[in-house]
Amino acid sequence: MAAVKETVETVGEIEKYKYGFFTDIESEKAPLGLTEDTVRFISAKKDEPEWLLEWRLAAFRRWQTMTEPTWAKVTYPPIDFQDAYYYSAPKQTVKLDSLDQVDPKLLETYEKLGIPLTEQKMLAGVAVDAVFDSVSVVTTFKEKLAEAGVIFCPMSEAVKKHPELVKKYLGSVVPSSDNFYATLNSAVFSEGSFVYIPEGVRCPMELSTYFRINEKQTGQFERTLIIADKGSYVSYLEGCTAPQRDENQLHAAVVELIAHDDAEIKYSTVQNWFPGDEEGKGGVYNFVTKRGDCRGENSKISWTQVETGSAITWKYPSCILRGDNSRGEFYSIAISNGRQQVDSGTKMIHLGRNTTSRIVSKGISAGRSSNTYRGLVSVHRKAENVRNFTQCDSLLIGDRCSAHTVPYIETKNPTAILEHEATTSKIGDDQLFYCMQRGIGEEEAVALIVNGFCRDVLQQLPMEFAVEAQKLVGISLEGSVG
Amino acid sequence: MSEKATQHFIEVYEETRAALPGAGGWLARRREAAIGSFREAGLPHRRMEEWKYTDLRRTFEKASFGPAPVHEGAVVLPERRSASAFAAIDRHVLVFVNGRYRDDLSRAGHLPKGVELHALDDVLHEQWAKDLVERRFDDARQAENIVDLNTALMSDGACLRIRKGVKLDKPLHLLFVAQDAGASHTRNLVLLENEAEATIFETHIGEVASFVDVVTDIVIGDGARLNHVKLQDEAPDAVHLATMRARLAAEAKLSSFTLTLGCGVSRGQSFVLFSGEGAEASIDGAYALRNRQHADQFCVIDHAVPACTSHTLFKGVLDGESEGVFQGKVIVRPHAQKSDGRQMTHALLLSRDAAMNAKPELEIYADDVQCAHGSTVGELSKEAVFYLRSRGIPEAEARRLLVLAFLEEALDLAPHNQAKDALKLLVSEWFGEAAP
Repeated sequence: MAAVKETVETVGEIEKYKYGFFTDIESEKAPLGLTEDTVRFISAKKDEPEWLLEWRLAAFRRWQTMTEPTWAKVTYPPIDFQDAYYYSAPKQTVKLDSLDQVDPKLLETYEKLGIPLTEQKMLAGVAVDAVFDSVSVVTTFKEKLAEAGVIFCPMSEAVKKHPELVKKYLGSVVPSSDNFYATLNSAVFSEGSFVYIPEGVRCPMELSTYFRINEKQTGQFERTLIIADKGSYVSYLEGCTAPQRDENQLHAAVVELIAHDDAEIKYSTVQNWFPGDEEGKGGVYNFVTKRGDCRGENSKISWTQVETGSAITWKYPSCILRGDNSRGEFYSIAISNGRQQVDSGTKMIHLGRNTTSRIVSKGISAGRSSNTYRGLVSVHRKAENVRNFTQCDSLLIGDRCSAHTVPYIETKNPTAILEHEATTSKIGDDQLFYCMQRGIGEEEAVALIVNGFCRDVLQQLPMEFAVEAQKLVGISLEGSVG
Repeated sequence: MSEKATQHFIEVYEETRAALPGAGGWLARRREAAIGSFREAGLPHRRMEEWKYTDLRRTFEKASFGPAPVHEGAVVLPERRSASAFAAIDRHVLVFVNGRYRDDLSRAGHLPKGVELHALDDVLHEQWAKDLVERRFDDARQAENIVDLNTALMSDGACLRIRKGVKLDKPLHLLFVAQDAGASHTRNLVLLENEAEATIFETHIGEVASFVDVVTDIVIGDGARLNHVKLQDEAPDAVHLATMRARLAAEAKLSSFTLTLGCGVSRGQSFVLFSGEGAEASIDGAYALRNRQHADQFCVIDHAVPACTSHTLFKGVLDGESEGVFQGKVIVRPHAQKSDGRQMTHALLLSRDAAMNAKPELEIYADDVQCAHGSTVGELSKEAVFYLRSRGIPEAEARRLLVLAFLEEALDLAPHNQAKDALKLLVSEWFGEAAP
């Protein structure tokens, strides 16, 4: 037995050496697969302090004991977590010389979205000409924020410059042991945004990942942390309406929001990742954990999301309503077409007194897609006078798609008033006929009706997004009628 | 190695199987297969999605039930109104004591030609009974798995077959009395051939620590119609597990209503499968719970074919430290166009310590459908109580009136007028007992 053990140990040593981060420290890619060394490698690459490495390792060890969740209504071939790279240094993408070299299909989409020419170039990876000086835009933007005292920077920068804040809040809303994907993210997260709004400050502009310098390198394991101190306000925009292609199939992001007394955070997402080809191959798997903590009294967190992309979406932006009188909101449009599968919803956990929440979810499924709303409204024993209103409507276009609603309503306090309603229907033939007999084409009519169906949610989007999102709704449904 | 509570039932099976009906025949083989799957699955627990709010494993860890003895002597009906709720209605009565049929207490009178009514043992040789026992719905697997326990251990039951076009002249009342402590496993089989009609009342009463496990398998033929009114009112330390599985052919109609006055832990499961177009099912219920009662209503309606209509409404009031659960699911299969599914659940919490969990689910694979569900939970409206008080009605009376009015919407759906009135009276008395 002793000899066997020795052999195992020796082999272990060799293995370790072979993939050890000491030898690989200069390389640009972490070795294939996920081991403790990968985690160390990532941490070393980012020059992280010891405590963060320990935190990552603890998460990694935990992750090894966990199993993938299978309760969501999505099916996909098993993911081999050892057959992936968990860190690769930012690559220089090949710059194209002009828009002529860009895929005309992509350009067509940009055109429909009404994206300005210069922006189109930026998105498609064409070298931006000198007239549009993005650097100066970003610089003025940064100066203005610094003046207000707002910290808005990449996570790795925040770890270096504001370790006390990161240490205090990281993992305080989504613990590193929260769920399979969140734990994986905790172990290997590569980049993300960090936002801190000081007491009493109303952030002078909408913060958008779009403008953050390293946006292009967020990678597949994004980690976002937003803290709104007492009495502050921030509106944060994530994503972009333009279609994004990504070589990484698996995305497991974590977003944590913390709102102190009287603070308000508005978080808007437009997600339009590659949904895969017509057979559903090659699309992005989006397994995201998003959670907000209304820690202070009278705080408010509002999630708005427009989900049109990804092959698989597994996403439940939630609110923990801890502070008295706090409020949580969730507005969602989830559109699925082709072979997309969406399982999305929210959790409203009422812990404090007089907390209120509102959920408006609009699911639209077309093609052969599957669209599930899954939500929880839970009222704690001590949460007095809770009020919740939930509405989730589904629209079906075509007879090969499906729509599901899975709400959980749990209450332990009699003073709570909880209402839930859901409907499922298709676009009325009479509505369609009405539009068409007035000369509106069928596709356009569908887009029009669907936009009306989603209106409650679209109105919640910041101006910058709202217009584009409306067009996006139409485009996502292309090819679903007729 | 299965855990203790599951093992207990397996041991009971090993000890009693020689004495169970159908020994040596197809049923013995079926029982063997059922206990095998039961052993594999184990008792359901809260880590299973469909048993999230009712953990049977824990229930049976806390209280263990040996088989209830065969009771042959005189039976004293418990002094509960529920025991005699349907007494004034002209009806056929079958009495089951500790889960076993008692011919001497029953009064089935003269049945119309074409109506066959037997105890389980007497129909086992018939193909239709075999078909019903062997059938599986195949959806909601975790919830249906527990039927295996019943299949393995079922000792008796009422089997009703009504031939084509025949109407049962008066309601058939199945009265189940738990006289002695212990577990009973009952299997009822109901086959309505085309155009047949029947009304069935089902009452479960008892004052002892019993585990009542009853499965009712129903087939309703083309254009046939079944009305079902169930009343359950058992002891605080009793466990009640009822599963109804109904298959409806074209234009068939099923109206089932359950009033749950509860027991320690009760779970009522209904599975409805539409297999012919134009069928209609209405699965409704009301419940009134107090103390530490726990009642779970679980309902799956499967629109497997086009143009069927389903309606589900459960309303309940929860007092004391009671806990109510509603889990419902409407499935509309691909191509089941023109389906209409409505599912509503409302609960009133009367006390600080009561709790309610609801999970109304829709699963839809067809586009030309009308499906909606709704759920509300809250307490009595202060404004409404104030309104009544301002008109001179004392607070206790005002609350009683409002609660009864709340439950009445559901009670009105009971598919038999006299039974409906009887249930309303029971509910009103239930509330009377609650007042100090």
